[in-house]
Amino acid sequence: MFEAWGLLFNGIIAASDPTILTGVFFGAIVGLLIGALPGLGPSAGVAILLPIAVTFDGTAAIAALGAVYYGAQYGGAVTAILLGIPGDASAVMTVVDGYPLAKRGKAGQALSISIVASFIGGLIGLVLLTIFATTIARAALAFGPIEMTAVMIFALALVSVLGSTDWIKSFIALFLGVWIGMIGLDPILGMPRYTFGEVMLFEGIDFSILAVGIFGLAEMFASPIVSSADKSKMARFSFRDLMPNFRDIKQCLNPLFSGSVIGFFVGILPGIGAAASSMIAYAFAKRTSKNKEAYGTGTLEGVASPEAANNSASYGNMIPMFALGIPGSGTTAVLMGGLLMIGLQPGPLLFENQPEFVWTIFGSFYIGNLALVAITILMVPLLAACASLRPGYLYPIVIGVVIFGVYSISYSMFDVALTVLFGLVGYVLTRLNYPVVPLVLGVILGPLLERGIRRTLVSSDGDLSVFLHSPIAVVVLALTLSLLTVPRLIRHFNLTRAISDN
Amino acid sequence: MLQSQLNNQGLSKQPFRRFSYLTFLAGAIFSCTTASAQDFPEQDITYIVQSGVGGGSDILARTFANVVDELDLLPVNILVENRAGGAGAIAYSFLAQQKGNAHYLGGVGVSFFTTPLLGNSAVDYRDFTPVAAVAYSPYILSVRTESDIMSVEDIRGRPDTTAGTGAVVSDPTLLSRMLERELDTQIRVVPFDGEGEVLSAVLGGHLDLVFGNPSEIIEQIQAGNLRPLAVTASERLASLPDVPTFTELGHDIEHIQLRGLVLPPDVSSEHIAFWEDILRTVAESDLWRSEYVDRFNDEPIFLDSQAFGEQMVETNETYETLMRELDLID
Repeated sequence: MFEAWGLLFNGIIAASDPTILTGVFFGAIVGLLIGALPGLGPSAGVAILLPIAVTFDGTAAIAALGAVYYGAQYGGAVTAILLGIPGDASAVMTVVDGYPLAKRGKAGQALSISIVASFIGGLIGLVLLTIFATTIARAALAFGPIEMTAVMIFALALVSVLGSTDWIKSFIALFLGVWIGMIGLDPILGMPRYTFGEVMLFEGIDFSILAVGIFGLAEMFASPIVSSADKSKMARFSFRDLMPNFRDIKQCLNPLFSGSVIGFFVGILPGIGAAASSMIAYAFAKRTSKNKEAYGTGTLEGVASPEAANNSASYGNMIPMFALGIPGSGTTAVLMGGLLMIGLQPGPLLFENQPEFVWTIFGSFYIGNLALVAITILMVPLLAACASLRPGYLYPIVIGVVIFGVYSISYSMFDVALTVLFGLVGYVLTRLNYPVVPLVLGVILGPLLERGIRRTLVSSDGDLSVFLHSPIAVVVLALTLSLLTVPRLIRHFNLTRAISDN
Repeated sequence: MLQSQLNNQGLSKQPFRRFSYLTFLAGAIFSCTTASAQDFPEQDITYIVQSGVGGGSDILARTFANVVDELDLLPVNILVENRAGGAGAIAYSFLAQQKGNAHYLGGVGVSFFTTPLLGNSAVDYRDFTPVAAVAYSPYILSVRTESDIMSVEDIRGRPDTTAGTGAVVSDPTLLSRMLERELDTQIRVVPFDGEGEVLSAVLGGHLDLVFGNPSEIIEQIQAGNLRPLAVTASERLASLPDVPTFTELGHDIEHIQLRGLVLPPDVSSEHIAFWEDILRTVAESDLWRSEYVDRFNDEPIFLDSQAFGEQMVETNETYETLMRELDLID
């Protein structure tokens, strides 16, 4: 362990090389902007920069690409808070509390805590990455389809707290989300499902398209009806508002810490991703909070938790790639392509064969994470200046940017039309008082649960008892059961005691 | 606008372009001539990749473009353009629209065959002009080191054997079916989203078998995480001299993945010959060997337009049969 810190120290010094520093800053700024641009997320960002980056010196290239990845996590929150549009998929939960805060004129405070949360989440993720990368990577392999199914059932039980008080409407929204998540080629049998014969739907619906439409466009469609008088004050804040505020941090300590840890560990699991980890972190923070009711109406904790989680998840996500040579997500798959293109062989021997490279990259992550705090504080007012425009000017610009962002995912007008369609769906749902968050949960968690269950059943030939043969699954399922029953039992006992006391 | 910029780039690399415009004019006035190979290429080449940046097809495209550039084989640039989505449909229908224009190239992946076979695609493999194959990749059947399976024979009659695949219709699915038939043993094929997830599941002991490309498998073998059982090539691999081929073991399993390039439909035979020459030079160069073949543990090969075209027909039939067996098509 001490050895790790020594190696890291050397890594940070090696990463202070001007070429690498340039790469880090360049990547961080590109990442921040791409994260802030609705539609384009970290995987698109890394992909866009990859052909340019590989022309740098090898280590600087990967440092730059890594910086795009974690930089995007900082940027996603900016659009989420100021415009109510998730800048990237993992900023979805940041909208839920960040945007109401901005509407109340607290955009500065919300942005400040999101920067702090991103930094702390990043730092905790990095420390865990530094010390345990190889150990954790091995441990994460214990999670196969069976264990993943159990984790998803647990996650669903945990996030049930995110529905609205109208549980029928919440369930309808959830199932609508699960259905949207099923569109595309069946992941196990391979035939098209709910694609209406449209080849463009074969790969399913890109989550960022759905998130941008259902949050961003829907909000703008609704705005002529909803009074926009409070808009003018929302973007008014000073640099001082953006500086870390210790009272706010103290208030958010729990969600900051839980978000960082949950984000990291969920991020390691293959195929799950930062969006799911920020949802689980948010749900956990809400469940364990003393003022649950405040969540969703604009509370700082509700911004701190998902922002800490998605930054931490981005480092967790890199663990299987660095330690085992296995890409756990789309973004790390592109990063791994980058490693190959600069002539490094990612794999279990990377730490042994290229220790200098690995530790320099880790060192650059520490530098980048710190630098992003300053970069974000300096760049946010620029972005915020746009948000202070009157809706009449702002919305056409934002719609233009959204269409550009969505189009550039795969140069497809079909995606643009789909975004508009989801905007309309979001508008109708909001007008009819359906909560949108359960729908988003359905889209993210539904496919993960389906894949887990069906892969398990294919492997076991339909035998459900395999769930009981996996100790991890048994523990997780037991936790799920207690999560669902214990609060009820406690309430029941308190009630009977109250009655008997009387 | 963009097009004209690309043209300008082409011009700057080719100072005698103006002259060839004149030739073209003269040709147009005095007689009807077909475009001669000297006039080609007139602009930058666009290589359309059907998947995102960083994937196998993308790396092939970019390495190819670099090698052509380093060897100075073309007076213009090769621009790699990713058009992912629609399971390859976006890229391939775009490529098909560039009828007769040999300034566009495309790569051949599994979706090149399978998406049209599923129906609903306006174009299929017959719409494209095969150019050549420049490398091939065999598959290595492996298990994790802790597995009780020590040889291919151990799989025979073993209950509850599972194998992973990164997509439903894929070479690993095909190979698992072949192995099932050869050993007369049931193998449950579990589809995952990508080879990375399959590898995690095998290393974690959740799956028994994996058919992987050398680029995915060899590092894990060297680290002592995986045990190779057999390779699907016709000869042993230079990188794994101790691992037998399936044929040596008496099993009729031989299957490789060709890395090939195609042109849009209706390309003139001069342009096919032009590209064949370039691809042959690339495939036979040391640079291609060191930058691509060796780095990704692929095997060197060169198949010309006709041979690659025949191979495409065969590959399509193989996938069609597999998809019929999987009940994906009637």
